[in-house]
Amino acid sequence: MDVDISRKTYVEDIDRGIYDIRNEFKYSYKVEKGLTEKIVREISEKKNEPEWMTEFRLKSLEIYNKLDVPVWGPNIDELDIENIVTYVKPRTDMKYSWEDVPEDIKETFTRLGIPEAEHKSLAGVGAQYDSEVVYHNLKDYLAMKGVIYTDMETAVREYEDIIKKHFMTVVPPSDHKFAALHGAVWSGGSFVYIPEGVHVDIPLQSYFRLNAPGAGQFEHTLIIVEKGAFLHFIEGCSAPKYSVNNLHAGCVELIVKEGARLRYSTIENWSKNMYNLNTKRAVVEKDGTIEWVSGSFGSKVSMLYPMSILKGERARAEFTGITFAGNGQHLDTGAKVVHTAPYTTSSINTKSISKDGGVAVYRGALVITENAHHSKSTVSCESLMLDNKSRSDTIPVMDIRNDEVDIGHEAKIGRISDEAIFYLMSRGISEEEAKAMIVRGFVEPIAKELPLEYAVEMNNLIKLELEGTIG
Amino acid sequence: MIRSMVMENKFLLIRDLHVKVGDKEILRGLNLDINRGEVHVIMGPNGAGKSTLANVLMGNPKYEITKGEIVYEGKVLNDMKVDERAKLGIFMSFQYPEEIPGITVENFLRSAKMAIEDKPIKVMEFKKVLKEKMKLLEMKEEYAQRYLNEGFSGGEKKKSEILQLLILNPKLAILDETDSGLDVDAVKIVAKGVKEHKSEENSIIIITHHNNLLEYLNPDYVHFLVDGRIVKSGDISLIDIVEKEGFESFKN
Amino acid sequence: MIVIKDELNSLPIKTYRWLNVNHLKLDERIEKDRKPFCKRFFEEMDDDNISIGSINNIVTINQHLSRINNEKQEYGVSGKMVDMAENFNNAGVYAYIKKGADIEKPIRIEYGMDRENDVVIDNNIIVASENSRATIVVDYCTLDDIDAFHNGAMKIYAKPGAAVTVIKIQRMNDNSNHFDSNIAVVEDGAEVNFIQVEFGSKRAVTNYISNLKDGGKSAIYSIYIGNRDRELDLSYYMNHIGRRSISNIEVKGALKDRAKKVFKGTIDFKLGSSKSEGREGESVIIFDKTVKSKAVPLLLCTEDDVKGEHAASSGKIDEDKLFYIMSRGFSKEEAMKLIVEASFNPVIDRIPLEDLRDIVRDELARKLIVEERI
Repeated sequence: MDVDISRKTYVEDIDRGIYDIRNEFKYSYKVEKGLTEKIVREISEKKNEPEWMTEFRLKSLEIYNKLDVPVWGPNIDELDIENIVTYVKPRTDMKYSWEDVPEDIKETFTRLGIPEAEHKSLAGVGAQYDSEVVYHNLKDYLAMKGVIYTDMETAVREYEDIIKKHFMTVVPPSDHKFAALHGAVWSGGSFVYIPEGVHVDIPLQSYFRLNAPGAGQFEHTLIIVEKGAFLHFIEGCSAPKYSVNNLHAGCVELIVKEGARLRYSTIENWSKNMYNLNTKRAVVEKDGTIEWVSGSFGSKVSMLYPMSILKGERARAEFTGITFAGNGQHLDTGAKVVHTAPYTTSSINTKSISKDGGVAVYRGALVITENAHHSKSTVSCESLMLDNKSRSDTIPVMDIRNDEVDIGHEAKIGRISDEAIFYLMSRGISEEEAKAMIVRGFVEPIAKELPLEYAVEMNNLIKLELEGTIG
Repeated sequence: MIRSMVMENKFLLIRDLHVKVGDKEILRGLNLDINRGEVHVIMGPNGAGKSTLANVLMGNPKYEITKGEIVYEGKVLNDMKVDERAKLGIFMSFQYPEEIPGITVENFLRSAKMAIEDKPIKVMEFKKVLKEKMKLLEMKEEYAQRYLNEGFSGGEKKKSEILQLLILNPKLAILDETDSGLDVDAVKIVAKGVKEHKSEENSIIIITHHNNLLEYLNPDYVHFLVDGRIVKSGDISLIDIVEKEGFESFKN
Repeated sequence: MIVIKDELNSLPIKTYRWLNVNHLKLDERIEKDRKPFCKRFFEEMDDDNISIGSINNIVTINQHLSRINNEKQEYGVSGKMVDMAENFNNAGVYAYIKKGADIEKPIRIEYGMDRENDVVIDNNIIVASENSRATIVVDYCTLDDIDAFHNGAMKIYAKPGAAVTVIKIQRMNDNSNHFDSNIAVVEDGAEVNFIQVEFGSKRAVTNYISNLKDGGKSAIYSIYIGNRDRELDLSYYMNHIGRRSISNIEVKGALKDRAKKVFKGTIDFKLGSSKSEGREGESVIIFDKTVKSKAVPLLLCTEDDVKGEHAASSGKIDEDKLFYIMSRGFSKEEAMKLIVEASFNPVIDRIPLEDLRDIVRDELARKLIVEERI
């Protein structure tokens, strides 16, 4: 029985070629319906942008049309990629009012104790929250220190040289399809420049910038912290932001110069119809430090993996994250660190909670390159499952290409132990409160990293999320 | 009728108690009476059911009562939830206290105290009491801000249990092997704490197999628990019997 | 001609493409043909409680296989590679252990590849009946200076209460290719433990899966050495299906020169696997900055009442230890070998045959001392 093995064992590859051509074909056909040069030019014109930015947008569009959507991660089939233009250019006849905002969102505002004046602004239905008073005082303080804090549109005009030099260099449009989309249609966002040696004592909050038109969908944040300077920047707020345009493809670029430190905190609580495909990245030079604090509570699907590139000797990255996935949510979050210089250190510490059918995924990457001798990294991921309808995955990758390294990684998955509940209840605490206490304790290391009012809000949020699931 | 009247006068009555853990019957018809203000010692060999008795009094859901009754201040406890028992003044000092990361000792104890007394307690007022009790137990103040039992040594955990006893001030305290694994000095401090708690109103059940702790506390009764039953009760002189003979002669 | 154009050892859940860990993509033509393997490769057993034979003895196999529920499941380094091993093999052993039998003597299978027999495509099936115990040792080695090819599959059916230990030693030379696929069906209260020694071949691609039913237990203890330009792609998957199942993946390695290694370990708690526990750990000692070491330890979970843990560490050899040992008169290579051996010993000690333990230790010394001096 001699089999012709040469024929039988020829293992066919899946023909990627065919796949790619088909996509290309689709795009050329779809261009009319999809995102066109005309639309992109329109966006640029409206903003009165310099020529180079228009070109940049068109270049990004080209890349966008070439790339395919990620083959990994959560299912985003429901995103109408073919008609991406509907996400970019909302139909002008789509006037919606406070009455159209879903009841549960309205209720959450009330229960979180958010001032009524802010409700409509957060829901994206105009009637903007007047933050000008607070902001004016802040402006004076910042001006005194020589800090630039402005919206991106203004920055492109007034600080053209700096923006031109840095815009989408940390996250190039070629990074992935949604980065390219962002490059083509970005709108709104913040630009912050901290001059050498300046220490900004109060956290800057992008919250004040929510009012900018288009902000919160394709907003671009660029922060440059010069030599020896310090900044704490807070993005977002714990109130659910509601928008009928349910694609968020923002981009955050952080440049941390020699000896500088930047702390970037986010509490994200998008409404539960949102696809949050956000790209955040920091480049850290010699002796610089980036600290990420990231809380993901909202959205239907999130793909968010802030990346730190440790480019200079002794650069440091710290990532602290919490993800809470409830019913109907697939929150795929994590952190990436690339060590490219010697004596660099990083630490990643994440917690996730999944309940009521929610999917929480930690997805990470740690790369130590040939040059990064004497690097150190520790990764710790803990997941808490509150029921067996939910899902929790941990997907880390470590890629080590150096011998002089010290790498530790650990992950744990489990639920609240019956023994711990018994112990707390034996001290007179009800079962519901005992569980809530343990969950609060679980997220405490993250809450600790947040400014007090945010920590309080996060605790309220957790309490809200837990109600009804326990008992 | 008469029986129930008698029972109401008693503080704690355990009648023909049978308890299962999984498929295994641990307690097999245990009887025990305790009056207000009394200190009872339960001794017995490993696996006799001492910890089971503690857990079943506190209401650990892993332990199933198959027969018999526990009557506390005239109320049948059998089906009562753990936190309700705590609110009625029952307390157990755990042999292996759980570590609860993220919750500080102070916050935890204030929450528990408020839950038990069902009224708010001012932060400053509570801090004062806590500081006082911690001093008594020779615990450093910083422990108030540490996470509950997390990273505590064996001795620190036991002290933390006694601190909780003093703060929550229960009517019935069950000390499950609180003296095991402690050095002489630590036993002294724990004894000091328990003494502080002892009063005409408060009853204490001490489960142990050493007499370390007993040297400092004057127990009213000593019981031998063997194979799931109380086989002998008497005064402190019983301890000498154990020291000499062990429990062998009480096994069937 | 054997052509392998395939994606091997695919991750059960894909991740970022730029890291190149989703699969091992191969496009290779190996100048070999399938030909008979004309050597004895297993020992007959003088024991009524076990029937053992060549895989080609279809009659006995069918007779026994009808008794096991042959659930179809994808496994192995790839569907095509398993297909090659199952349907176009030139060797392989079938062993059947009777109910309640305790086979003390290990079943030994040896594929010693030489100039005439340089291709092994083996399909092995082990059926351990209820409450039986057995140990199987498989040794893949090259005897001549040849470039050998091995692609194999092993299926283990552990019926309720059975306990099977499988020891796989691969010490083929640096010109050879090694592909190996394993699946264990671990039924109620059964236990299957794998001990893997991955020391040789130019390219080693191995894949282990355990399907754990109620109370099933499985462990994989693996040690590997990567030196020179060798490549290793190791994939392990613990599939917790039943309640109270327990798994453990423990991998230890040493990487030198320009070696490349990818470790993929997955613990998957399926819905219904309540009260199960799984842990995995990998620790690597890295000798040179020219090695490439990747690790992807996955924890997948759809059941809340479980405990899962993974840990990974990698780093340089402990300088203080090295200094201490060298101060007692050992050369640097010898000292390094000692440290690696110390780390590997708990796994090596699990090998039940002394001669094999010696072989493994010699091989370790050869990789870390002798080859160093060539």
